[in-house]
Amino acid sequence: MRESAMVQLHDVIYRWPEANAAVGPLSVSLPAGQLVGVIGPNGAGKSTLLKLLAGFLRPHQGQVVVGGKDISTLNGQSRARLVAFVPQTLETTFDLTVEEVVQLGSLHRYTWRDRLAVRPAVDQDRLAAVLESTGLTPLRQRPFPKLSGGEAKRVLLAAALLQDTPVLLLDEPTAHLDPGHAVGFLHLLQELVAREEKTVIMAYHDLASVGLFAHRLWVMHRGRLVAQGDAQSILSSPIIADVYQVSLVYLAHPQNHKPLLIFP
Amino acid sequence: MAVSRRAVNYAVALALLALALLLGIAHGPTPIPLGTVVRRLLAPNRSIDSVIIWEIRFPMVAAAAVVGGGLAVAGAVMQALLKNPLADPYIVGASAGAGLGATLAQDLVPALNAMAPGAFVGALAAVCLSYLLSRGRGTVSMLTLILAGYAVGVILTAVTTFLMLFNQQDLSAIFAWELGGIDGATWSQVLVSAVLIAAGLAVVWPFAHDMNALLLGEEEAHHLGVNVQRVQFVLLFAASLMTAAAVYLSGLVGFVGLVMPHIARRLNGPNHRHLLPLTFCLGAAFLTFAQIVAESVPVIGPIPVGLVTACLGGPYFLSLLIRQSHRAGGWP
Repeated sequence: MRESAMVQLHDVIYRWPEANAAVGPLSVSLPAGQLVGVIGPNGAGKSTLLKLLAGFLRPHQGQVVVGGKDISTLNGQSRARLVAFVPQTLETTFDLTVEEVVQLGSLHRYTWRDRLAVRPAVDQDRLAAVLESTGLTPLRQRPFPKLSGGEAKRVLLAAALLQDTPVLLLDEPTAHLDPGHAVGFLHLLQELVAREEKTVIMAYHDLASVGLFAHRLWVMHRGRLVAQGDAQSILSSPIIADVYQVSLVYLAHPQNHKPLLIFP
Repeated sequence: MAVSRRAVNYAVALALLALALLLGIAHGPTPIPLGTVVRRLLAPNRSIDSVIIWEIRFPMVAAAAVVGGGLAVAGAVMQALLKNPLADPYIVGASAGAGLGATLAQDLVPALNAMAPGAFVGALAAVCLSYLLSRGRGTVSMLTLILAGYAVGVILTAVTTFLMLFNQQDLSAIFAWELGGIDGATWSQVLVSAVLIAAGLAVVWPFAHDMNALLLGEEEAHHLGVNVQRVQFVLLFAASLMTAAAVYLSGLVGFVGLVMPHIARRLNGPNHRHLLPLTFCLGAAFLTFAQIVAESVPVIGPIPVGLVTACLGGPYFLSLLIRQSHRAGGWP
């Protein structure tokens, strides 16, 4: 086990209650500054893995260690300082504005003074920068439940960015996004990894584009991590076709020669 | 939302509250002119007006304000906790517990006339029971809590009804109490209730942002750094304390806790930092006005304030629902 690992799973097992299904045992170690794509068919355990990493699900066995700390021993504030999570979708009927939702990203930094004050001391420059980078500045005062799926997704990302954590987890980040915003989103993630050495782990569906953005891939199948490695070698391995039970066409990007997989 | 609009809302709500308090004190079997009310409030003396104001009417009006504000905030907290705009302060068994507590007190020790303390204890105990019943594997699901609260409510109500059948001489006393009324509140009772409600408010206030996060669901709140289970427990306890304190003073007054958070949310938005203070002011003003109406029903004479809130709150809520179903979208 490397000392510098940002994210580690030690023989983690999670059993879904009332379902005859379990995830694990999972063991993996990841240094900082990586963009990882978690791929695998529906029900393979991708979301479960992310929720275990976020400390939302507690493993029945084993340990999830993030930034050198067992995530299950941390309180909410310390956990939210380490790991941020962007869910696939989120339903609410309450009309919080975009800005109010994004500001919740700084909740874990509130002191007692902030909690008692009418206005918590929010870093307005940072908030503005985050809104700008996610293209939300014009939507600032819009009610969150009235947004389209893609806009709502960007709000959730903005809140996670405001959390400013070393580890960022995303569940299907580009679902609901149009191609323009999807690419913008992924470039933003790439930039965070390159510039701030953040560790980004995302469950991802699209085999055609995952190789363009992820450094590493984790392949989940029936609750197990069946393969992991750099994106190039994983995508060119025959295990993908086996896991998805389809035949695939292997292409290379005409410019950067990164692998693209498409279904025939 | 513009800050200035919120400021206007606060100003109007506070003005309404002040007006309600003054009118409530001025109004009664012997009307006292508003000018005299203000003068005697500022400078009490031994005149009969001053005694009526300070010993009879002011405690009653203060009771209405305290109960209205407390119930309204308790309702807002329950709505955030259960992520359900239809929740009210009584939803997890408090009303049934209060009913049983009051009935037991009346049946077992009628000499003590301890219906109010009995109701206070009963309301808190019923919420605790629902909470404990909904615990599973160290966590409490809010959906289970609603269901447990419903079941506990049904069972406790059945027990209460059974006891009432056996002690029919108490029926009218308990029935009148259950309708909710603030008549004859004394300063010491108001003080007890006010201190408890203030304590509840003090507990709730620092968690306003956590409540905002809870509106996005327990999972998202977890990711944002809320200690979900602990915060839910603290908020449930604080809301129940306020509810029980209100019940102690006034019996079961309905609709304030359901409708006032809705109105406040329409005005100030769902951000609890701005919602809670407005909810308190509106609840306090509303119940004080309702009390004035309850005292001045023509022909019949005074009626329990709970009837007035139901008559005003019910139709308002229905109109909200109808408007809502015409305009698909989120809750106000």
